[in-house]
Amino acid sequence: MIRNWIGPIWVHRLVFLAVVFFITFLRLLPLDTSAGHLPGPDILLCLILAWMVRRPEYLPALMIAIVVLLEDILLMRPPGLWTAVVLMGAEFLRARSALTRELSFGVEWLLVSGVMVAMFMANRLVLALAFLPQPNLGYALVQMVWSALAYPAVVAFSRYGLDLHKPAMGEIDAYGRKM
Amino acid sequence: MAKTRSYDPEEFSRPLRRVLVGLLVILMLALFLLWRIDSPRVERFRTALIDKVVPDLSWAMLPVTKATDIIENFQSYARLYEQNQQLRDELQQMKAWKEAALQLEQKNARLLDLNNVRLDPMLTHITGVVLADSGSPFRQSVLLNVGTRDGIHDGWATMDGIGLVGRIAGVGERTARVILLTDSNSRIPIAVQPSGQKAILSGDNSMLPPLDFLEHPDQVQPGDRVVTTGDGSVLPAGLLVGQVALGADKRLRVVLAADYQRLEFLRVLRSYETQPITDPGALLVPEPPKPLPPGVQGPLLPAGGLPPANTDVPATGADTATTDQAVPDGTTGGRSD
Repeated sequence: MIRNWIGPIWVHRLVFLAVVFFITFLRLLPLDTSAGHLPGPDILLCLILAWMVRRPEYLPALMIAIVVLLEDILLMRPPGLWTAVVLMGAEFLRARSALTRELSFGVEWLLVSGVMVAMFMANRLVLALAFLPQPNLGYALVQMVWSALAYPAVVAFSRYGLDLHKPAMGEIDAYGRKM
Repeated sequence: MAKTRSYDPEEFSRPLRRVLVGLLVILMLALFLLWRIDSPRVERFRTALIDKVVPDLSWAMLPVTKATDIIENFQSYARLYEQNQQLRDELQQMKAWKEAALQLEQKNARLLDLNNVRLDPMLTHITGVVLADSGSPFRQSVLLNVGTRDGIHDGWATMDGIGLVGRIAGVGERTARVILLTDSNSRIPIAVQPSGQKAILSGDNSMLPPLDFLEHPDQVQPGDRVVTTGDGSVLPAGLLVGQVALGADKRLRVVLAADYQRLEFLRVLRSYETQPITDPGALLVPEPPKPLPPGVQGPLLPAGGLPPANTDVPATGADTATTDQAVPDGTTGGRSD
């Protein structure tokens, strides 16, 4: 029913926002406040990249910027920097959506992992240039590796949980144009 | 194929889109730069935003947190017997400690009475509930549900029932953020008892923050008590922080007394600043004398000036007696007899 009112693209966007809200909510829960845990994967990053590879039109740049900036602010990170990095990584993938559409999952995984590494490195580089204290390299690497490992799980969740797939051969959009 | 299509909106929107996305990226980098240059302003904005968002989520956060607690408690039923034994042992030890504590309390009361010590009546506390944690593995902080409307100020010490947990950094209308001692930005002046060595407890994102700037590490033993000092008027003095321990890397670290596994209710100590001593101390000199009235000569007059009765000298006896008391230096030669 909602699909008829606001169109399929906005349904997916709302689903994306709901998932983001849920992830952030879980992260803010004060479940364990002791320090020294190894960091887990950055699920939001995996989600954005996975959706960007599959359906770039569902994630407008402005929405990515707002979502990541909010996360920056809520999680006490330097505001804006990680947002800019994620935007650039996402736009890199968007520009190659014609290429990624034909890739097998293994190659896609490699490509996305490469983008992730580049993003983490860029982030650390700018932090170092701005003379900001940052977590030691080991922890950051652990988070990076975890994120790369979590990517297939996020893709599987998006594919089977949220019915998000690459446009098939000859599929047409809501206006009857070829995708 | 593509050339035959007469109209494609993408062809026009794509360059424009690229420019807009570029602008967005630049805007974000500018925000980062602004934060780097004028951090307090942006941090105030951040505090205000968190203040708006997070308390409205607490209705949802609370049940989830409680449910997780219940599950964890349920898991601990499995180890019931083991725990029971452990508790019995601890109870035995506690009884001995209780006896010692009672004796010490009496002794302390007597000594305080002897010395006529008055404890600071301003040192009261407000208790807040932990709403959220930082959400990031690289930042150790929690958000309390008390803020400026409860009179919370930046920099106040925060404790759980036993030991220091951290201090307030960032206050909103309804929320306040507590930087935990384990955060890598936390620096607390402490003293190690009984040797009285002063040092800085600097958090490094691990459960056991190390001691920095310790002058004589050889005078500090693992097991020594660590308390705060009032240095820098950051925290009230004498709050329990924890115990010294020797880390695996041979650095002296502190086992924190507060239970960081489960921070639920935190006390924020109202600490008003003590009067700061600003000048290095001046000489105590008497007030400089006033200049003499014109036409009068003589040694220095007292600061009060000349009493008016002095001028008409040979008067009644009672009058001269009073003037003599007031001006004992005899400048006027007032004695008539």
